[in-house]
Amino acid sequence: MDKFRNKFIEEATDNINDLEDALLLIENNPEDKELIERIFRAMHSLKGGGAMFGFNTLSEFTHHLETLYDLVREGKYKITKRLLDVTLASVDHMKTLLANDDLDSADLRTKHTELSLQIRKLIDNDNDEKQKVVTEKPQKDQSKVKSYYIYFEPDSDIFSDGTNPLFLLDELYTLGECKVFAHFNKVPEIEEIDITKCYTYWEILLATSEDVNAITDVFIFVEDQCKLEINEIADYDIIQNIEVINQISKIAEEKTDVGVSEIQKIIKKFSSSKKQSVSLDEMIKMKGPLPSVKENVISSIRVSSKKLDQLMNLVSELVTTQARLSLYAEQSADSELLTIVEDVQKLSRQLRDNAFDIVLVPVETMLTRFQRLVRDLSKELNKDIVFVAEGAETELDKTIIESLTDPLLHILRNCIDHGIESPEIRSKLGKPTQGKIILKAFYSGTNVHIQIHDDGAGIDPEKIRNKAIQKGIIKKDATLSKKEILDLVFLSGFSTAENVTDVSGRGVGMDVVKRKLSEIRGVVELESEINDGTTLTIKLPLTLSIIDGLLVKIANSFYIIPLSVVGKIYATDHENVVNKYNNLIVLDGEQFPFYYLREEFDLPEGEQESEQVIVVSYEDRKIGIVVDEVVGESQAVLKSLGKMYKNQEIISGATILGDGTVALVMDTNKIISKFSQDKFNS
Amino acid sequence: MNAETITKINSYLSFNLGDEEFAVNVSKVLNILEMLKITKVPKSPEYMKGVINLRGTVLPIIDTRIKFGMTPTEYTNNTCIVVMEIEMDNDIVQIGALVDSVQAVLELEDSEIQPPPSIGSKYKSEFIYGMVKVDEKFIMLLDMEKVFSAEDVIMVKEKAAEGEGKIEDKEKSKKK
Repeated sequence: MDKFRNKFIEEATDNINDLEDALLLIENNPEDKELIERIFRAMHSLKGGGAMFGFNTLSEFTHHLETLYDLVREGKYKITKRLLDVTLASVDHMKTLLANDDLDSADLRTKHTELSLQIRKLIDNDNDEKQKVVTEKPQKDQSKVKSYYIYFEPDSDIFSDGTNPLFLLDELYTLGECKVFAHFNKVPEIEEIDITKCYTYWEILLATSEDVNAITDVFIFVEDQCKLEINEIADYDIIQNIEVINQISKIAEEKTDVGVSEIQKIIKKFSSSKKQSVSLDEMIKMKGPLPSVKENVISSIRVSSKKLDQLMNLVSELVTTQARLSLYAEQSADSELLTIVEDVQKLSRQLRDNAFDIVLVPVETMLTRFQRLVRDLSKELNKDIVFVAEGAETELDKTIIESLTDPLLHILRNCIDHGIESPEIRSKLGKPTQGKIILKAFYSGTNVHIQIHDDGAGIDPEKIRNKAIQKGIIKKDATLSKKEILDLVFLSGFSTAENVTDVSGRGVGMDVVKRKLSEIRGVVELESEINDGTTLTIKLPLTLSIIDGLLVKIANSFYIIPLSVVGKIYATDHENVVNKYNNLIVLDGEQFPFYYLREEFDLPEGEQESEQVIVVSYEDRKIGIVVDEVVGESQAVLKSLGKMYKNQEIISGATILGDGTVALVMDTNKIISKFSQDKFNS
Repeated sequence: MNAETITKINSYLSFNLGDEEFAVNVSKVLNILEMLKITKVPKSPEYMKGVINLRGTVLPIIDTRIKFGMTPTEYTNNTCIVVMEIEMDNDIVQIGALVDSVQAVLELEDSEIQPPPSIGSKYKSEFIYGMVKVDEKFIMLLDMEKVFSAEDVIMVKEKAAEGEGKIEDKEKSKKK
């Protein structure tokens, strides 16, 4: 049962997210019928699933919301800001309920009653208003009892997610009078019975004043798992007609299933005497507009992320093994083996690309939370802010997306709290009163850039400078470029907010953001113009698990330098790199600071005459890294060095080469910043 | 794995570090490897020897001797890598421990295991959960979790003890 509960929680979380998403969208398109349907559907699934898996509070709570949106759906209630406010608050509450259905804290209970009350009020309120409009309508409905024929054949594995078809039949009973014919002819021989499968199917006659939508709603969350047919067979209550029922039961007992046409024939036969006949033509006409149950086409499946991780690991191992195989084939000079190896190489590359593609998730998945944050927070701070996302379809590795959400939320909070000014100030400055935050995601080479731009006050470098001096971070007479000053924001213990609010400004802001991002090999850049706004750019690798690298050798050890940072490679004489005091080298007439890695890694000085200088980009500068030998390009499957090396910063991981030796992957940014610091301190 | 499960398996792998014999419960031991080429990770503590490729995974290698405050392991034909699984911060981590030589697998009844030495004795009780006497020799049963999750070099022996044999003398002379 726990397994089912967990599955439900997973699904419900999706539903709630979908709901929230739709609610935010509908705010701008209150007339969008499809969105209302989407909201309604999500609520209905939550209600039904909740009841089934013992989330009774959640189910009941959602039921009230559903009632409210039923009115909206029928056009009897307009989407208002107040309605959305209450609904969004309710959505939050639903999230809590999902984790804590028993309401075991007093706060929760108060909140629950409060929200329930508000929803009630909205429903009641609405009743007053609509009374005039629709008073006649329901009465009309009530007098009009119609009969429906329902054919319901659940898929044999319907039990697997905890659905009990009998509950659905029970629900049908609540709609009106029912006659149920159960068919057991598909039940196999006893020794072949799989008790986890459902073999029974039903034909149901239902007389109800509800319309066909109410019936389809009963089946709404099994509609993909069953064969369902709903037909109107008479515009009066046939269950009262004993002769008809007797006849049908007789057929049901004799034959496998009765079928709608048989029933219609019987009704026709018996009702002709009662002058209530409905011609077959009319029947067909009635059948026409009814919702047909679509064929169950699976366009996507849900896979646990654990399985994906496993797949990624296996693919990585395959790539490594394949490299070994290629090496072996080359050495063996067996032409047949070589062709096979080439094929394997092609296949494994395709497999790798495919597998990486699977774990990519669009940026879009994070957006709902951001929309919500902007909406709620701007309201709280009395600011008028609109949030626009561009390039939401840009995809990133799911692990990156996961670790990206929190930093981005923090950045947005900063934008809203410190960036965008209040409407009064904005109009004084001649800006539009509505502030704008743009999130832009796009590909740039093998990187993904995410930009967050606000058109707010911008950051005053003077202010930051003063603050940094005041906090003792920089010396009073230090000369810093504007960029360097802005980068001070990322130091720990730095917060420019003049008064600390509960939103931001606790001084643990941007440094945490930067650290979190660097954990996923992300780099942050900040640009800002006073009164023009601030742009924060995050550069991220497409994936964390494989990189293109340059394989180099230092003192018989292999190292990989990410190709993305490598600019040019020069050869130079040994004397040029040792015993230099200023650590500068002139190459192609340009001067570069450089690091002799043998020296930095505490290794003995090399004996070769020629050294290789690899020019890498570091922030916006070019810096040389001196290694013994450049071996070539190599694709590196990144493997973590593990917990034991958690303090190891300058090496971001390791990879296994074709011949089985381990190569260490350098993080050149860390190497340069670490060694430049060391130099500075000594 | 907690202490209860450990005691359920009564086999222990004993190994030598210098003249001293230690043992770990076999439930922790995954593998014993011959010496392989170790890739040194620059700028890491001395006892972290580097990493090796263990069937496609990167395995950190620890010089147990340095970790215990002895001189670095000198590679001989008997030097082995004992691959162990230990729990660190709620994660299962695999490490390879360099030892001078692997001795035997001992079957020990709980009753044979004496409690860790009390204060004032030759060994720090923190990393040892029991001792056992086999053929007139004391073997120390190590608590690997504690040994390897401890940052930096640990002193298995109390520093105060004097004239405890050459390992300690060496260690002292190295320190000065």
